[in-house]
Amino acid sequence: MTSQAVSRPAASGILPNAAATFEIRFESIGGLGAHGAGQILATAAVLRLGLNGASFSSYGSEKKGSPVRSFVRLTPSEAPIRTSEPVEMPDCLVVFHAALIRNPTTFAGIKADGTVILNAPAGPLPELKVLPRTVRVFRVDAGVIALQEKSRPNAVLLGTLCEAFPFLDGEIVREALSEEFAGKHPEAVASNDRAFRRGQTEVEVVTGIGEAVGALPAARSEPAWGFTTQPEGGIVMAPGSTFWNDLSMSRVGWMPVLDTEKCVHCGTCDLVCPDLCLVWGDGEPGAKYLRVLQGVDYRYCKGCLRCVESCPTGALAKTAETPGLADSLRVPLFPEFIK
Amino acid sequence: MTTEMREAEPTAAGLPPRGSARQKMDFRSGNEAAALAARDVGFHVMGYFPITPSTEVAESLSKMHADGDHEIVMIAGDGEHGAAGICYGAALGGGRVLNATSSQGLLYSLEQLPVQAGTRVPMVLNIAARTVSGPLDIRGDHSDIYFALNTGWIILLARDPQAVYDMNFAAVKIGEHPDVRLPVIVCYDGFFTSHQKRRIQIFDDLDPIKAFLGVRPHFPTPLDFDHPTTFGPYMNDPDLINNKVQLWEAMEAARRVIPEVLTELEGLTGRHYPLLDEYRMDGADAAVILMNSAAETAKEAVDLFRDRGEKVGVISPNVLRPFPTHEFRAALRNVKAATIGDRADSYGADGGNLSLEVRAAIQQDKANETVVASRIYGLGGKDFRASDAQTFIQLAIDTAQAGKVAEAFAYHGATAGVATRVGPVGLPPITGKDIPRGMAMVNKDPVTGALSVELAPVWEMTKVPSRLAPGHGACPGCGIVPTLHQVGRVLEGDVVMLFQTGCAMVTTTGYPATAHRVNYVHNLFQNGAATLSGLVEMYWERVRRGELPKPVEDPTFVMVSGDGGMDIGMGAALGAAHRNHKMMILEYDNQGYMNTGAQLSYSTPIGNRTSTSEIGKVDSGKRYHHKDTAQIFAACNVPYVFTASEGFPEDLMRKVAKAQYYAKREGLVYGKILSFCPLNWRTPDDGAAPVLQAAIDTCFFPLYEVDHGHTTITYDPDAMGRRRPATDWLKQMGKTRHLLTNGNSELELRLQAEVDRRWSRLKAMHANPEL
Repeated sequence: MTSQAVSRPAASGILPNAAATFEIRFESIGGLGAHGAGQILATAAVLRLGLNGASFSSYGSEKKGSPVRSFVRLTPSEAPIRTSEPVEMPDCLVVFHAALIRNPTTFAGIKADGTVILNAPAGPLPELKVLPRTVRVFRVDAGVIALQEKSRPNAVLLGTLCEAFPFLDGEIVREALSEEFAGKHPEAVASNDRAFRRGQTEVEVVTGIGEAVGALPAARSEPAWGFTTQPEGGIVMAPGSTFWNDLSMSRVGWMPVLDTEKCVHCGTCDLVCPDLCLVWGDGEPGAKYLRVLQGVDYRYCKGCLRCVESCPTGALAKTAETPGLADSLRVPLFPEFIK
Repeated sequence: MTTEMREAEPTAAGLPPRGSARQKMDFRSGNEAAALAARDVGFHVMGYFPITPSTEVAESLSKMHADGDHEIVMIAGDGEHGAAGICYGAALGGGRVLNATSSQGLLYSLEQLPVQAGTRVPMVLNIAARTVSGPLDIRGDHSDIYFALNTGWIILLARDPQAVYDMNFAAVKIGEHPDVRLPVIVCYDGFFTSHQKRRIQIFDDLDPIKAFLGVRPHFPTPLDFDHPTTFGPYMNDPDLINNKVQLWEAMEAARRVIPEVLTELEGLTGRHYPLLDEYRMDGADAAVILMNSAAETAKEAVDLFRDRGEKVGVISPNVLRPFPTHEFRAALRNVKAATIGDRADSYGADGGNLSLEVRAAIQQDKANETVVASRIYGLGGKDFRASDAQTFIQLAIDTAQAGKVAEAFAYHGATAGVATRVGPVGLPPITGKDIPRGMAMVNKDPVTGALSVELAPVWEMTKVPSRLAPGHGACPGCGIVPTLHQVGRVLEGDVVMLFQTGCAMVTTTGYPATAHRVNYVHNLFQNGAATLSGLVEMYWERVRRGELPKPVEDPTFVMVSGDGGMDIGMGAALGAAHRNHKMMILEYDNQGYMNTGAQLSYSTPIGNRTSTSEIGKVDSGKRYHHKDTAQIFAACNVPYVFTASEGFPEDLMRKVAKAQYYAKREGLVYGKILSFCPLNWRTPDDGAAPVLQAAIDTCFFPLYEVDHGHTTITYDPDAMGRRRPATDWLKQMGKTRHLLTNGNSELELRLQAEVDRRWSRLKAMHANPEL
């Protein structure tokens, strides 16, 4: 793994390979602004850089905090864009949350000479070994920069994206970002500007980290059941089976941490927790408390901190989430199924 | 009728236009294109109701209206049936009318469509096509638009956002042509087109398009007081068939008018829309026939085959009603084989509607010997990729070479499944026996008959296993789950839960997983109360017949709905209330259609910003007051009505315990529960407590119950010395903060006055048992 300085040739508005389509996939969590980033970028590319483009996202019933994908497809101006299919073999992947690199489908289909823009703090990234060895990785600590600048990670990552691809003229995309906010949120323009610029400059370019040869295969999700196995009528006969879901990626930097010394086990937090992730058990025989709050199953905690807000003793505290902290403090709700 | 043989040019939409009107480039989704066209047409009225994926049309128009970019009167219906009625009435009034819907919305309003065609009242309806339930699926296919085929509406198809923009102008002019005088649908693919931004050209000078549209011709209207007219008489057998002949004649006239209008529009735009889009069909031996966005994808595949010297092309209609029968015959006359793809099945008919109609068209053409393979593809939003198109093309080539079709009808792209692969394993179910009793002891006063409730300590309630599993997809901070969790703390015994469509439904039941550990039903957005009525009565009848054992304790039937569900579902809910079934209706009120992106509901207070009551230079949020649903149910004289909030858990749990007592013994109970929505109230995720407290302390959301007609305020901010002005609540939320600015003081005062008025009435009812 080596780092190098970023060089900036200028070739605004001309695709890296003039004959081809240039495709970007944003891998994100609802609420981090991947959809907005894709739209701003593609709008700037079409209306300001003279390219043809399409911008769209994956849609489902997912809410804020669930995985989402956003797509940008760019072609030279005179080339038509006709397909509406999602981007399977991206030239560039923008990963909005470091936790997503543990998801095997995040990097699916990345081209051998592709580029990964990664929001992650400094530190080793063993998960990136799965990448093709010829892939470029641009790492930026977008979450921290966004917090410091009162902006959002998408502004930072757009800056880094433009840095990685000079044909996406950074000045022009930044102007487009500013204009997007100038009308309704003028107060956000300056902070987005700063976040964008830091995304351009506070970049670490990592090469030689991947070990795979050639493009990664595309991934298409296969349903658990098919028409020979799906129960008739679309019913679900496995009660409570959402408990297999892992929602820890929904947290955006903060988590509640229980101090058992301070806890009076009053149960107030339990009435306001939307994620049903607080773990209760019976107290020791003869002990002061008959019911005891044992901790949090962070697999399900989306980090809203309503429990912290409700806690009368300060036993639940808002805590910055560092790598591994949730895993080390997690109390499993269903240890018989998920340790 | 001449056949349009000109080939659609393979040029990119949005390139500099060749038409006579001045245009400019934009980058827009199909929904935005429909909204921009509506702005540029300058419709008089839009009646609508939010439904994914068409909602953005109304949202975009709301934003533009707020900024003064158009003057279309935007009316949010109580449901799509109501919205269609609003449109019908408005169109009858002689102006230009617009609607946009999808899927269940089209089906719920379907009965309005033949009436509108049969009574010859033009308007424009945009359909962002989406699959129909059930199970509920929000993504795109053509199962909704196929239901509109027999309604007498003209149906124009729009394959991309540019076509959506263009076809909306054509729709106005075609429908208003005196020889046609029919309502017109513009149908584009949900998500694939509705939500995908593309480069388009829009008019930069509206004069040419205004001249193109002219003024709406005069048709008889109930607003013409010099010529009183009866609209919609009762018409029986000798006459109705003649009305339908006229309707058929209008459709036949449309065959002539549509190409005329599209050609005239082409003069302005430079964009050519033949009735049938034929791509690289020159000398083609084999063809694929597809509708809308899939046809565009197939063009990419056809290019690959043509590069290899294969004589293949794509045919796709730009008009579905009237069906381009002659054009299909001409286009297919020299084609040996075709694969026809339908994005919806006509179950049991060996083909979807497009396939059936193309086959019928060529069957009557003696010169045609095209062999056809019918395929169902892309249901429920399943992507149709270039590789799928290649499969279809290869099938057509193979069929052409063989001279016969190996498999005339099949589904393409379905998954057989693997017998050895089991689906997700569940948790143990939660039955009535698993629920500890006594978390809320309900005692009946032997003298007065009044109920009192004694709650166990909150910590003790943690013994109650949750009937809802974690891992659901609700947003961080969502108030719905705490609401349901608090309800579950005191509900005893077995329960059957029924959720109407809404956030709680979609976030707890994403297939193949469910968060529910008890029996759960979802039917439709609006008829949960009817559905649960039927289930309750079947329970009692089967118990009576001895088919179900009479348990020691009867189950409790609970319907859960959002405030949106209690708009569209008000009729069914009031019906259930009047019939007084033994069931509970619990409404989590987060003051908007949050599941579809925060559109206004009737429970949204005045002045609130939502995605269909935007703020801008002209508008300052919702224009009318919030619905007093609890009082509506109180007027049904059901045993028990209450209001509560997840911010006041103990008050809520007492009321739920009483509600269960009455629902098992007497009849229907209703509770309206104020639930936090940080995303769309625009508050911090952990901001529930102060904002809910303020909503209640300001008396915006009074906590009370109506027990057999007697009103009791259960938390009186006046008596507690906690009464605060409404501004103390409004300033806490991003959706209402604008009401504290100078320009909006009138709205804020109107809200305060309404809050005061309702609170005074409530206090009078509290003080006087006769009220």
